[in-house]
Amino acid sequence: MKFKNRFKNKFKTIFLDPNTSYYNVDEKVNIILSPSLYWVKKLSLPVKYVRDAKKLLPSIFEDSLPDGNYSYFAYKSGDEFYGFAYEDKLILETLADKGISTQNIASIHFAQSELDKIDSALKVNDEQSVYVKDGIVLLVPCCWIEESGNLNLWDVKLSKHKISLAQYGHIVNNSSLYKIGGVLLALIIIVFVEYFITAQKTSNVVDMKDELFAKHSLKSTMMQNRALLKKYDKLHKRQTKIRESVSHILALRLSKNEKLTLLSLKNKTIVAEYSDMNKGMEAYIKKTLKSKNLKFKTKFDSKKKTLHVEINI
Amino acid sequence: MNRVNPLYVGVFLVFVLIMLSYKLSNVKNELQDAKDAYKETSKLATDLTSLKDVYNNKKSLQKSLQRVLSNPILKPALIQQDVKKNSTTIISLAMDIKALNFLMGKILNGTYNISSFKVKKLSDTKVSLDMEIKW
Repeated sequence: MKFKNRFKNKFKTIFLDPNTSYYNVDEKVNIILSPSLYWVKKLSLPVKYVRDAKKLLPSIFEDSLPDGNYSYFAYKSGDEFYGFAYEDKLILETLADKGISTQNIASIHFAQSELDKIDSALKVNDEQSVYVKDGIVLLVPCCWIEESGNLNLWDVKLSKHKISLAQYGHIVNNSSLYKIGGVLLALIIIVFVEYFITAQKTSNVVDMKDELFAKHSLKSTMMQNRALLKKYDKLHKRQTKIRESVSHILALRLSKNEKLTLLSLKNKTIVAEYSDMNKGMEAYIKKTLKSKNLKFKTKFDSKKKTLHVEINI
Repeated sequence: MNRVNPLYVGVFLVFVLIMLSYKLSNVKNELQDAKDAYKETSKLATDLTSLKDVYNNKKSLQKSLQRVLSNPILKPALIQQDVKKNSTTIISLAMDIKALNFLMGKILNGTYNISSFKVKKLSDTKVSLDMEIKW
């Protein structure tokens, strides 16, 4: 047994076995898993690294394990590997049964890696003891063997061989979790790339707009530019209307003696005056100007035979 | 346990995805607004530039009016031109029909900003003209 400085363990250590009593833990604890909670094999493998050995474990344990969803762990000791298979769900259920919340667990170790140096059988509860045979830590009924004392976990210095439990491994296996995570990551990357491209496009459009301002020497604000356009638009409409109205007046067909004596533009009114007008010409002029959608008024002086036409532009 | 809960990672990824999607939707709206603003500015710039070229080109308008008024056909009309800072007044006390047709044809077909005019028949062959053009 490793009799190291007991103060090196920051947290209290608990030996977890389905047959041990209820703990009701409200502080952080280290857990040592009873051999009843895992399967272990001592292996000589033609591989150098633990990661390579770990890949082989599912096929090595394949025939010896009952049905279940297993996780695997391995570590190297000398030239040999220790391979472990354990059910996360079973360990989680045992932890819950013993009143240990997963939030209060600092680390989880196998009895194999922590108690492999004990030199005699040690009692872990009223009915069971642990002892080492051929390098493997075993859990046996007390009556099978003569113990030299109780297991004192304060004296155990924990190794670096620890595991993490997959809490949802029994619902969704790791490969499905990785696939879901992969899909989410891929979506995040796609959305991010689209976000980046769209932001870039927005920036380009804004730059193009600024270039337009510089190229056409526009005023600094759109409000000023709109007002300027409105002013020029109004001017253009007025000039177009003047030319259209003059054109319509000049296009009127008069008799030989009928004459246009005045044509003027002042403010928004074009005035045309005719002399020696025959009866009926007023109606003809009215009809023609009406057909051109012009706003106008006429005044016929039958005594002087003059016609006064005012067109509003 | 030191291992990060995969549920937390999943929730975090979903949260990031939702946030990015929201940001993307905002930036797409911004792009649409920027495109609309560009379209409006482009149309406004084209319209404004062409109208300014027509009505706000004082030098070019003055030059072309001088060319028209110096035509020999208008010589007998004895046209008086009063040039001010922002306008010019053309006056002829008596001009023949040919000269009137020439002058009105040039001015009405040009892009001059006609402010006012008065053409009055004096006799069967003569008219008087008073016209103000602004620039």
